[in-house]
Amino acid sequence: MTALPFGAVPLVRRQLLARRGRTLAGVLGIAVALLLVLALKAIFAGMESRLTAFIDGTGADVIVAQEGVTTMHMTQSALAAGTVEAIAGVPGVASTEGFLYKGAFVETGPNGKSGIVALVGGGPVPNLIDGRAPRSGEIVLDRVLADTLGAGEGDVVRVLGARLRVSGQVEGTAAITGSFAYVARATLEQVLKVRNVVSYALVRARPGTDAGELAARINRDVAGVTASTRASFAASERRVVGDMSTDIVRGMILVGFVIGVAVAGLVAYSQVLAQLRDYGILRALGLSARRALMIVAGQVALLVLSGFVLALALTALLAAVLPELSATLVLSLRPVDVAQAAAVAGAVALVAALVPVIHVVRVEPASVFRRTS
Amino acid sequence: MEGGRVPVARRQLLAEPAKLVAAVAAVAAAVALVLLLSGLRRGLGEQVTTYLDRQPPVLVGQAGARDFLSQTSVLVPGTVARVARVPGVADAAPVTEGYAMLNLHGKRVLALLIGYDPGRRGGPWRLAAGRRPASLNELVLDRVLADEHGLAVGSTLRFRGAGLRVVGLSSGTSGFMTPLAFTTRATVNAMNRQPNTASFLLVTPGRGVAPDALERRINAEVPGVSAILRDRLAANDRDVFVGAFSGPLLAMILIAAAVAVLVIAITVYSSTRDRSREYATLKAVGLGRGALLRLVAAQSGAVAVAGTALGVVLAVAASRSVPELAPKYLIVVTSSDIVRMAVAALLFALAAGFVPARYLAALDPASAFRR
Repeated sequence: MTALPFGAVPLVRRQLLARRGRTLAGVLGIAVALLLVLALKAIFAGMESRLTAFIDGTGADVIVAQEGVTTMHMTQSALAAGTVEAIAGVPGVASTEGFLYKGAFVETGPNGKSGIVALVGGGPVPNLIDGRAPRSGEIVLDRVLADTLGAGEGDVVRVLGARLRVSGQVEGTAAITGSFAYVARATLEQVLKVRNVVSYALVRARPGTDAGELAARINRDVAGVTASTRASFAASERRVVGDMSTDIVRGMILVGFVIGVAVAGLVAYSQVLAQLRDYGILRALGLSARRALMIVAGQVALLVLSGFVLALALTALLAAVLPELSATLVLSLRPVDVAQAAAVAGAVALVAALVPVIHVVRVEPASVFRRTS
Repeated sequence: MEGGRVPVARRQLLAEPAKLVAAVAAVAAAVALVLLLSGLRRGLGEQVTTYLDRQPPVLVGQAGARDFLSQTSVLVPGTVARVARVPGVADAAPVTEGYAMLNLHGKRVLALLIGYDPGRRGGPWRLAAGRRPASLNELVLDRVLADEHGLAVGSTLRFRGAGLRVVGLSSGTSGFMTPLAFTTRATVNAMNRQPNTASFLLVTPGRGVAPDALERRINAEVPGVSAILRDRLAANDRDVFVGAFSGPLLAMILIAAAVAVLVIAITVYSSTRDRSREYATLKAVGLGRGALLRLVAAQSGAVAVAGTALGVVLAVAASRSVPELAPKYLIVVTSSDIVRMAVAALLFALAAGFVPARYLAALDPASAFRR
């Protein structure tokens, strides 16, 4: 018997479109499973970008911390004033500026609202959108926190027991873990009762001096410090989120994979069961087992691909909508995370196709003539 | 016709066991995910107060202190002495604590470093190996954290320019976000370049002295400090840590719930479509619309109940195996979580059961005889 030209008939598409409701539900299910992976990664990526808002905005070429310290968030660092002077003396350094960095709460009153902040005493105030940099007894808040507290310019807030007047607002630092707030270094020194100690030093290089070389020179010439270029310090800071969320992300990928396999497998299997008689007819007309297998695999692949594209679209939608609902929830979709979700989708497709493929390959061409129901 | 005598719903479900298994597995995965995420959130809250839960009922920090973990607090020596002299204070043990971002094998690992005075309150309460720190740069590390990173008694850990020698391993001090490490207060103060200071005082009330009364007395008599009850401080810590994760966690839970609804709907709808001829026959022999809907609802309910039961078993098994497999995590699945999940699953089933309702209503009984 001569085989019919099955290649000319879009069997995969037709079979999927024959039961649109089920296909749509399957695509939606796979999309939601992949959304679990993509949304979680996007949330963590969003957190990373906000963590480095201050570092990115300092304009420093090199950031110097206590020896062994390469992060700022949830980190303690202390440099003696003499150390900062020693850094200033390193060839190639144009200027140094020390600042204090501490975790604190900003409160509007004894029983009022509060918000957690990374309190920076001294140094630049990046992304100032309103008012002015803080003078003694003043504080600059992120706009999101200021709105939450209802604290406008001129209002008084309490920080570490001290009353500070709001002098301005910055933007772009609010994340679910908190935001940045800025005070004068003398103010924070007074509140914390510290003298001649800073947490970090910001270093500007002389024109023509490479930041990497300068960092290496500071590490060599000054004892008890770790100097990093701004870029490498920011990268190290971003890795804090990645390192601390690795297990959670892995768990979510596993769950997304299981749900994706179950949904894709369920839809593909239902589809095949419903079309078993069609496959019998096709096999009787000369469709090879290999070709039948490819049709099923094609269906699963198309389902998963559509689910993946929909998941991407939903994540992009969430990234656009969520910040409007909660200014601290920022989502950032990175190519590496998309590639990871694509790999999960590929694995889902492979595993989900197994059972229906076995079923179709086992269909006997003659079975179609045996019953008439 | 008395359709109730024939177990149609059960027979239809069991006719395709593979499909049923996949549907139940997917619902179970979604249910288990919701329970585990909720349990992880609760466990996180319990872990962040592991240290505080072992301390006396009143703590004193810098004025404005309301949080033990995330807030800076500095008490100078004079203040420490003044608090110790307040009537009703049996003991005021100073500790200097703070986050320690350890760099272990190139990976950042967050811990809570407690600096206490040897021989006084504030140190490790149970040792798995070695001894307590007695002098400068000696360290007791949480056993689970040490195991994970190949550290043991005798190891040296570089931290903030100091070489900390591990002299002991503590147990009951692990945590996903804040495993504990202990050293002397002098060691932490030296790293902070703030000698003789403390961040908090652990205040033990005298016999017969109520903690809340002592809290008020200290706040009234000592300027520049905040006395706060341990339980309130712990609640504030939990709010900060757990609250930060509430938004993303809620989003994940909603997504998982959507998956559960969708899976039940796919199963019931595809089963209904595939059996249109059977349903048309049942309609033709007199089964009413309500009875047909009940038939479908029974199927979706069965998938929901089986999936939820399996999901609960998986979640409970996972939470029980966590202490062995990944001891730094704590997943607390409570019976109220399970009840809430069961109710939600039944609501999911109800929602999914409505999907084929319109199709069934429009199904022509005569179609049973057409082919």
